[in-house]
Amino acid sequence: MPRRTAAADLLKLLRDAEGMVSGELLSRELGVSRTAIWKQISSLRAAGYRIDAVPSQGYCLATEPDLLDEAVLRTSLGNGCLIGRRIVCCGETGSTNTDAFLLAEQGAEEGTVLLAERQLAGKGRLGRRWESPTGVNLYCSVILRPELPPYEAPQLTFLSAVAVARAIQITTGLQPAIKWPNDLLMNGRKVAGLLNEMNAETDRVGFVILGIGVNLNMRADQFPADLRTPATSLLLESGAPVSRQLFAVHLLRELDREYLRFQQEGFGPVREEWARYCNAFGREVQVDVGPNSLQGPFMGVDHDGALLMKLSDGRVERILSGDVTVI
Amino acid sequence: MEVKDLKQLIKMITETDITEFEMDNAEEKIVIKRGQRTEIVQMTAAPAYMQAPAAMAAPIAAPAAAVAASAPAAELAGETINSPIVGTFYRAASPESAPFAEVGQVIEKGQVICLVEAMKLFNEIEAEFKCKIVKICVENAQPVEFGQPLFVIEKI
Repeated sequence: MPRRTAAADLLKLLRDAEGMVSGELLSRELGVSRTAIWKQISSLRAAGYRIDAVPSQGYCLATEPDLLDEAVLRTSLGNGCLIGRRIVCCGETGSTNTDAFLLAEQGAEEGTVLLAERQLAGKGRLGRRWESPTGVNLYCSVILRPELPPYEAPQLTFLSAVAVARAIQITTGLQPAIKWPNDLLMNGRKVAGLLNEMNAETDRVGFVILGIGVNLNMRADQFPADLRTPATSLLLESGAPVSRQLFAVHLLRELDREYLRFQQEGFGPVREEWARYCNAFGREVQVDVGPNSLQGPFMGVDHDGALLMKLSDGRVERILSGDVTVI
Repeated sequence: MEVKDLKQLIKMITETDITEFEMDNAEEKIVIKRGQRTEIVQMTAAPAYMQAPAAMAAPIAAPAAAVAASAPAAELAGETINSPIVGTFYRAASPESAPFAEVGQVIEKGQVICLVEAMKLFNEIEAEFKCKIVKICVENAQPVEFGQPLFVIEKI
């Protein structure tokens, strides 16, 4: 019997049961050994199902995970949208960005969205890891094919940050802050990380992958102890679990709206909206690029999104990449 | 001026014996000088144009000139692979990983040779044909300009 069917049959028995189901009964009904049942239970748990086990009584399905469902997402988004006109959900993958990059190389259409329940090798900037446990957060990559020269493509970084900020606000009522260029913070802790990758020739963009990771229902004990920056989740900040399915719908709608406006009106509206969430106005910032470090008052962002900071000699420096700390 | 027009202009000039060319209008000023070994293209926006609502076009036009300039220069120094964006140059995917490319290494077509990051957008630069790395022009984690040569290569 194929493994997925076995898991689905087991799940049905657990759902139909009132209270505990013995391992013996499950074994008999499914025609497999009790060891096989135990293995299935373990894999369901790994997929986010909470299954209680009581010795000599059996198993009981306590809670089911809030799984992402392509069909439900597609129906919620409707037909008018570009972002999310094709949605691919998968249980487990290395990195949705890597998958999206490969799909785009094979010609996947603009607006294709990849979502995963779990990432085994979630990526951060410069080979850093993005912690991606099963079924609690949102791991999402979006394929765009903007008609832009490559040097304007970094503007999309700001666009995705604004869309995530708005989705958080709509879902929880709480206002996140954006740290240049696109880290989403709540009470100074990182709640979402965005990483974009581009395929381009000298004068045209092939495609851009917007990678979006948002900590939705992650509990304090699920964060690794050795995080570079303090992190949080919407659950920890708002005290209530967030429907991942609903959050995904809000996020894709906001991305769609911002992208359409960007194509029609350019970077101006995105930049203005971004500034509403920016946490650095009137503050000092420190920027680390490789071994170099600069510090000075934050002077806003330039017409193309570059961070402007005043140096001690009065010059204004344009920063295009680096780790920013607001002091 | 559009990049393609600028390229066309440079092509037209290099086909003649003209060594110096200057063009001036309300919007921009273009200077092209040709020497024995190098060809320099400068393009500066007129001050009035900078203050116009379309001021964005000015800083964008400037790097466009740089890319055009590198093309003729490359014919002399060997071919180069240039940065498609302004950003930070990285030789490896992470500080712990090995560099994508070393001097002397043979690179296959489509192989990634470096990353250029601008504002959290990572651009993997690939070799457009099989080649050998002759020189790495920029140090790791240094800023690069639009059109700036990153590698000198030898086509194989």
